[in-house]
Amino acid sequence: MQSYDQLVEDLTPKKFGWKGKVWMIALVLVILVGLYSYIQQLRNGLIITGMRDYALWGVYISNFVFFVAISLVGSLVTAILRLSGVQWSTPLTRIAEIIAVAAIIMAGLTIIIDMGRPDRMLNLFLHGRLQSPIIWDVIVITTYLFISILLLYYPLLPDFSILKERYAGSGKVREWYSRLSLNWTGTSQQHRIYGRSIKVLSVLIVPVAFAIHTVTAWLFETTYRPGWDSTNFGPYFIAGAFVAGAGAVIAVMFVLRKAYELENYITDEHFDKMGKILVLLCLIYIYFNINEYLMPFYKSTEEEAIHLHSLFSGQYSVLFWSAIVGGLVLPVVLLLFPAGRKPLPLFIVSLAVVAGAWWKRYIIVIPTLSHPFLPIEGVPESWRHYFPTWMEWSITSATLAMALLIITLLVRYLPIVPIHETAEERGLEAHTTTKP
Amino acid sequence: MRYIIKYLPLFFVSCLLVSALSASSKDEKYRARISLERVKVMNDQSYINISVKYKGEDGFEPANDLTLSVYRRVNEDSLVSLGQVITNSDGMAKFLMEDVIKTFDTTGVYSYTVAIEDDERFRDADKTISFSEANLLIKIIMIDSVYNISATLTDEKGDYLQGEFLQVGLKRLYGSLVIGQDNYETDEKGTILVPLEERMPSLNGNLTFEVVLKESDVYGTVKASVSAPIGIPIEDESTFDKRTMWSPPNKVPLYLLIFPNLIILGVWIPLLLLTFNLYRISKSKKVES
Repeated sequence: MQSYDQLVEDLTPKKFGWKGKVWMIALVLVILVGLYSYIQQLRNGLIITGMRDYALWGVYISNFVFFVAISLVGSLVTAILRLSGVQWSTPLTRIAEIIAVAAIIMAGLTIIIDMGRPDRMLNLFLHGRLQSPIIWDVIVITTYLFISILLLYYPLLPDFSILKERYAGSGKVREWYSRLSLNWTGTSQQHRIYGRSIKVLSVLIVPVAFAIHTVTAWLFETTYRPGWDSTNFGPYFIAGAFVAGAGAVIAVMFVLRKAYELENYITDEHFDKMGKILVLLCLIYIYFNINEYLMPFYKSTEEEAIHLHSLFSGQYSVLFWSAIVGGLVLPVVLLLFPAGRKPLPLFIVSLAVVAGAWWKRYIIVIPTLSHPFLPIEGVPESWRHYFPTWMEWSITSATLAMALLIITLLVRYLPIVPIHETAEERGLEAHTTTKP
Repeated sequence: MRYIIKYLPLFFVSCLLVSALSASSKDEKYRARISLERVKVMNDQSYINISVKYKGEDGFEPANDLTLSVYRRVNEDSLVSLGQVITNSDGMAKFLMEDVIKTFDTTGVYSYTVAIEDDERFRDADKTISFSEANLLIKIIMIDSVYNISATLTDEKGDYLQGEFLQVGLKRLYGSLVIGQDNYETDEKGTILVPLEERMPSLNGNLTFEVVLKESDVYGTVKASVSAPIGIPIEDESTFDKRTMWSPPNKVPLYLLIFPNLIILGVWIPLLLLTFNLYRISKSKKVES
């Protein structure tokens, strides 16, 4: 039978091995290349991008929408499953919270990257109009970031206390864990405040998470453009975000389980259940996609017909069908079989789902901009078509690498699986203090 | 003496060269073209519109910042100085004639001369404009339930001017909207009658009509206008002072100011309390101990 000490030993954050170091170096290199490109963008402006009069939102904004979508996973796994009384999800909550925090930080940074003059960002707050969905988005992203950080931090308090004891005599590391534990000793009063606070946070994060995705959808929906002029967009974005977030959690939990040998904590059963959840979420998202494309296709107004033609059989058809079939339909088919929900197949499927989700945002943003209701006069033909420049790609890759770097650094110093909650669920109690 | 005779031809050639160079330096000045138009606005100003152009490197260009002298020509050969005007960046100037002594020659013709004098860039030039006085009386009358614009053109003595062509227009912000034909010829009573068959929209229902005798060789340009509340009033639909979705930040619709802020407070007050709970957790150990 597993002892408390063994559990703490297993779940204590571990130093990087050589693979971890190579991974970190690779991420830093990608970030450095992106940083170089961003410096060029700061110097020369957005002219270094492929964005012009037609496509005034490009890969940055589609990447932003992707990050916002991924961040929804925090409310899905942590809040919704917690409030539902689902206990099997405990080992996944920390991973979901870490992904949510990393994604929402990068969503905010990506918006700044998209600004031609980030030095004027303060004007957004000084002269922002409450009538504009952009201001709503700024408010709701800030709120969601704050809640996500609290939701990550609260359950960590007992874990920090455990780690403080474990690292007794280890100098700075212990000092940091000690500070972060906020004098947690597990008193009844602390438990009462802790339990109540997590419950309030779990309730509070759900409407804010829904708001962040709905408001992001409204950024598009409030404009009269083919493909965006839809009343379906809010729920459509939320459904898509659940798919992307669940896919991200599965992918990260597979990698962490492998890297930190957490097979006793993140079991095949977890993959099986997450696989089933992913099927359900994909089916819901497919339903919304049908609504989103079938009705405009049936009506086929002139502008919608041009837009849909470019998606179904035109310039963007390969991306569109790859995202729909490869990122939604095939995953559902594969995950219906128990063998498809085994860790490795599910990991591969989840990667396809996440990649499909990224490209899905791209084809939500770009094709619509290429087909405005009113043609833009006096622009060169090349401006009518958008494809990101290599600098845009490098900056976008850097943002994805930064998100992964945040996740990597957080899992280096935070327990991937909640120690305190897992010990409680397994009926294990602390009886000794061990040194690492 | 022999030297003088020897170099005398050379001296004359030198003198000729110097004078030729001097003449050519005078030729470097531009030749300007002055255009004049006399405008009389009934019950308002009378003025001369002056336009000066010259042939520069890029074709005809406006002669800007050029000082022009204006004279009143009396008895053919006498000039009375009236003052000076300076052209603007478009080479245009306007000389108001309101204070000018009204004297005319035996034929009732007034003459004014505008001259370029001793200018560094332009050669001396002048242009004279001559005109007789005319008056234009305009009114709106109703005939068979239809509003008509009636305009009568007379000379200085009050005699009707027949056979002159008048333009009728409706004054708008950036110009005059032509009404009916391009122009109407005055009858033996010096009058035109233009029916206003359709009612036209305007702010407060006030319409201002303008009748113009345009660039007549004898009388110059004479304008008269009349206003009447016979238009269809336009309702001011401006939302400038209202709280709308497209107003500046200080004119946010009240519902948008109240409900989102209530939601923000509803979320952030619990969040601040939850943050305070972290402080309570950190202090609770001491309380229990």
